[in-house]
Amino acid sequence: MNDLAPLALDTALVRGADYADVRLIESSREEIQVKNGQVGGLDRSETVGIGVRVLVGGAWGYAATDELTREGVARCAAHAVAIGRSGAGLIRDPVRLAPEPAHRASWSSSCAIDPFTVPLEQKLDLLFRIDAGLTGARGVTIAECSLTFVRKRQLFVSSEGSRIDQTITRSGGGMSAIAVSGAEVQRRSYPQAEGFHRTLGYEFIDSVPWVEHAPRVAEEAVALLTADPCPSGEFDLILEGSQLALQIHESVGHPTELDRALGMEANYAGTSFLTPDLRHSLRFGSPCVNLVADATMPHGLATFGYDDDGVEAQSWHIVRDGVFVGYLTSRELAHRIGEPRSRACVRSDGWHHVPMIRMVNLNLMPGQGSLEDLLSDTGSGIYMETNRSWSIDQLRYNFQFKTEIAWEIRKGKRARMLRNPTYQGITPRFWNSCDFVCGPAEWKPWGVTNCGKGQPGQVAEMTHAAAPARFRRVRVGVGYDD
Amino acid sequence: MTEEEARGVLDQVVAAGGTHVEGILGGGSTSLTRFANNEVTQNVSERRYVLSVRVVDGKRAGRASGNDLSPAGIQRLVETATLSALHQPEIPDLEALPGPQVYRESDAADPATARFAPEDRAREVSRAISRCRAAGLQAAGIFETGQGTIGDYGEIEPLAIANGRGLFAYHRGTSAAFRVSALDGTASGWAGGESHRAGDLDADALAARATEKALRSRESMAWEPGRYTVVLEPAAVADLLQDMSWLSFGALPVQEGRSFLSGRMGERVLGENVTLRDDPFHPLHRGCPFDGEGIPTIPTTIVDRGVAKSPVYDRQTAAKDGRESTGHGLPAPNTVGPLARHLVLEGGSGSVEGLLGGIDRGLLVTRVWYTNVVDPKTVTLTGMTRDGLFAIEKGRISHAVRNFRFNQSMVQALNEVEGCSAPELTGGVVCPGLRIRSFHMTSVTEF
Repeated sequence: MNDLAPLALDTALVRGADYADVRLIESSREEIQVKNGQVGGLDRSETVGIGVRVLVGGAWGYAATDELTREGVARCAAHAVAIGRSGAGLIRDPVRLAPEPAHRASWSSSCAIDPFTVPLEQKLDLLFRIDAGLTGARGVTIAECSLTFVRKRQLFVSSEGSRIDQTITRSGGGMSAIAVSGAEVQRRSYPQAEGFHRTLGYEFIDSVPWVEHAPRVAEEAVALLTADPCPSGEFDLILEGSQLALQIHESVGHPTELDRALGMEANYAGTSFLTPDLRHSLRFGSPCVNLVADATMPHGLATFGYDDDGVEAQSWHIVRDGVFVGYLTSRELAHRIGEPRSRACVRSDGWHHVPMIRMVNLNLMPGQGSLEDLLSDTGSGIYMETNRSWSIDQLRYNFQFKTEIAWEIRKGKRARMLRNPTYQGITPRFWNSCDFVCGPAEWKPWGVTNCGKGQPGQVAEMTHAAAPARFRRVRVGVGYDD
Repeated sequence: MTEEEARGVLDQVVAAGGTHVEGILGGGSTSLTRFANNEVTQNVSERRYVLSVRVVDGKRAGRASGNDLSPAGIQRLVETATLSALHQPEIPDLEALPGPQVYRESDAADPATARFAPEDRAREVSRAISRCRAAGLQAAGIFETGQGTIGDYGEIEPLAIANGRGLFAYHRGTSAAFRVSALDGTASGWAGGESHRAGDLDADALAARATEKALRSRESMAWEPGRYTVVLEPAAVADLLQDMSWLSFGALPVQEGRSFLSGRMGERVLGENVTLRDDPFHPLHRGCPFDGEGIPTIPTTIVDRGVAKSPVYDRQTAAKDGRESTGHGLPAPNTVGPLARHLVLEGGSGSVEGLLGGIDRGLLVTRVWYTNVVDPKTVTLTGMTRDGLFAIEKGRISHAVRNFRFNQSMVQALNEVEGCSAPELTGGVVCPGLRIRSFHMTSVTEF
């Protein structure tokens, strides 16, 4: 099948493409869900297809097909060129790609135990043991747990001579308990909301104490039904790592996507308050805020050898000592901020979709001290854990989050449990109010597996490592303070 | 894929799997031209089909999916699904495969839309860019056409279903959408249209509307957060109703006590001027006449003049309530439950502008953005206003207002509807613009 990629490339060039790249992708996916003691969903899928991206007269064209015959692939490549040509009269500046050496490489993520060879019975046994732990608590209405395994093998070839073979395997799972009573619908999840995933094999599943945590998760969901409501007002706020991960994602990751900052997402996801003129001058956060984009970190959800532009994975600062310094870039746009090389942030969610700038792993670097130190140092405030909902404006200023649970901090300790915690803020003010980031012992690689962007919409995943951090005088209790 | 081609694929599934097998074929093709900064930035097309095979063996079921539609590929899917079923525990309330069904026609395919070429999209995009450029603005947006069942995020819905008990269902539809933003820095306006016919979309007129809103947004004033009378344009209403539907209108959240409708059937739950139903046969929807289980979709009134009437059902939730499925299921089994995906909120006959009269101090909301759930049972949603928020003073638009974040119960809002315009199709919902007496804007943003 690999000979189809060069065929597509040759066809595109013969038809008039100035540049072409082709991705031939085989994907496998297994999803298993158990809900309230029954298999709620189980599917194993395998798909293969090809995507052809071209530049014609400085304009992009992209076509994708699952007709993997020589005729089907040639037709697809010719269609990509025709599409590109149709838009060539509607561009102001022809696309210029930043230089990148031709790579001939093979790269695979780490995978000790192939999850697709682990027997279904073993996976179901784990899920039913988790389910038993969740449903053992009186008052749980819905117990759900799941495992997901994904493998993507991609052959990338380009008219510049690159030929890159990559295989990435991802494993993960999650659980949640929902308790319902009257007007209250309360949820607790483990290890984080929306599941916990790494680019590893089944050994990752074996490394997580799923079953041990299930009873606590269920008991907390039930306890939340009668917990005191989170108060409204301004409080010192400590965010646990997985909630902080989503805060990083929404208020740092998306606004530093260069395509957004340059207006290319304006109709849908929006633009960004972090415009290029602010780079190296805007104090985005306090000096203890250091954010590093890193597509090379071990086992990250956006860890790869090469991106879908064929550029090698890298690591660089987005915010250094509180100052906004970096963007997530592509070969197409790097020169727009005066950078000679792409930062390798271009990915797509499959052969059927065109590659675009996507967030790579983006981490809040650790500071010092333990969570206990932080609580002790805080005296009084609110500690929030595990995301429940999120929202942010299209320039990424005004955000609001809800978490599953919170605790009042009193005399430096976690005190009473609080239900329905929310907080709201304005991005640069919020990050400038950060005055404590816990140290390496508390620093964990949380993740996002449902990041939506683009038209047609694409879903991507990435890791955000973080340790708990404190933010001063944050507005809390929004939405319940009416 | 034509009906004959789809039947050919599914016949092979049934031949390989016998009476216990179900095949769901979905997919098609979509094409999209994207523009920003007054130029084309992305131009794509995809052709994609996926076959999902389920084997139901007594109280056990297994599923396997793939896009190798060769005889060998189909055989492999049937074998994988059979093997999967063997290794699963029994599901006590697993429904047997349904027999043959009768489906109502849904005329949803437009040949001209299926033929819409890249040059046609470029022509329409060019008109929109010219309109915005002439006003000194930057245009950004999309022109998209498709045929088949590929969703906005690449998700694939059923195009054809067959099973070993003789059921066969097929639906062919086309779709088109044009959406445009006009921008001047952080000031922006938006307009959009969608139809099963590309020819229905007037890119120039929509760009003119977005342009007018952007020009009016150039000088915005910051108002204090608080409760305001609002006029929500249909795009804003649709976005909020989609969230409400996901949370509340399916039988599963009702049965699990998570919906504001739970335990309240027959009671007045919304204002007497609110009637909500799900109807894929509405002339603006032209949706699929069957669901993911192959069951015919029955138009269902969810709320009739404020009174809760019925959620939408799939086979599993219907059996639990001793009812018949309304044909709103996803492929079984699933943990989501049935969904109302062809919402119709009944409206009036006038324009959105006609709702402004008599408002002493209020807000006109063009659309909302990034809505999410704060409280599921009261359907309290948060989100931002976007692309045109205007002050209404003494019944007229007076100036632009800096965007707000809202936190608002939709149950409360739909109990305070003071007027509605003529309905239109927007964001996948047929709905009017609404005038709502009190809507809670909780914080202001920076633009």
